[in-house]
Amino acid sequence: MKITVNEVEKEIQPSSIEQFLKDIDSPIKGSALAINGVIISRVQWPNYQLQENDSLSLFQVIAGG
Amino acid sequence: MLKDSELIRYSRHLLLDDLGAHGQAKLKKAKVLIIGMGGLGSPASLYLAAAGVGSLTICDFDSLELSNLQRQIAYQSDEIGSAKVTLMQQRLKKLNPEISVRCIANKMEEPQFNLELLLADLVLDCTDNMPTRQLINRVCFNGKVPLIVGAAIRFEGHLSFFDHKDPDAACYHCYAPSSVDPQLNCSNSGVLGAVVGVMGSLQALEAIKIIVGIESTVKNKLKLFDGKTLQWQSFTINKDPNCQVCGKK
Repeated sequence: MKITVNEVEKEIQPSSIEQFLKDIDSPIKGSALAINGVIISRVQWPNYQLQENDSLSLFQVIAGG
Repeated sequence: MLKDSELIRYSRHLLLDDLGAHGQAKLKKAKVLIIGMGGLGSPASLYLAAAGVGSLTICDFDSLELSNLQRQIAYQSDEIGSAKVTLMQQRLKKLNPEISVRCIANKMEEPQFNLELLLADLVLDCTDNMPTRQLINRVCFNGKVPLIVGAAIRFEGHLSFFDHKDPDAACYHCYAPSSVDPQLNCSNSGVLGAVVGVMGSLQALEAIKIIVGIESTVKNKLKLFDGKTLQWQSFTINKDPNCQVCGKK
């Protein structure tokens, strides 16, 4: 199925957020993720199933100031 | 009531339909706690003092270093080695003698935080590390004190507002749930001074809006600023029912 990650289209197998991030070697710790404009809390990542045409925004949590 | 000198000082505010004398009086009565006197705290404190926020409490336990001056614009080169809160207090009092500025020069633990929150209408998180950000969120949630969070690194900025007076509002922990994640900070990743300045200025802007009663569009939102493209992204942060801080216990 097709999804977009930070505006780049990707073809993926159906999977959870956590599995998808592992598949693309993206670090879990320190990351935040929004799907279709809504932040998905990290505790949901193992069970949250990605859907066709989901738009993912993946970024790092920053603490500097 | 505003004095004659205040009517002149704030005359450009008084011309604003959304602010006016009524809003200026609210600013005068407001009590804001600003934690962190670095790259975010510099512009945030200067703008809130200039705007006439009547009672500012500023908190930082660091002394000024040469490497701070690239972004911490409230300070001068001949002030290196002095406590930032002392320098900032002097700067703010010179900028606006009409307001009161109180200093906290130590690292606050939870009991002191809880007492300080009794004296604050609003808190600005201008700190530079995740454990402190998590502590500030937790005490503000427990004390029902609204919290404006700013952060910056490299060319990136983050801005959020968590209205802890609203039981349905999300909190910082709903979005950033771990205090032990690898941390990105200014000393290990770098930051452009003007980017952190933009974010600190926006924290001041949101604070002023909240105090005078203009709706904040960053409530339960995370705004991401890209300093290279000048583009913004906006994400909704829903309350996490299982959040360790604001969820049902």
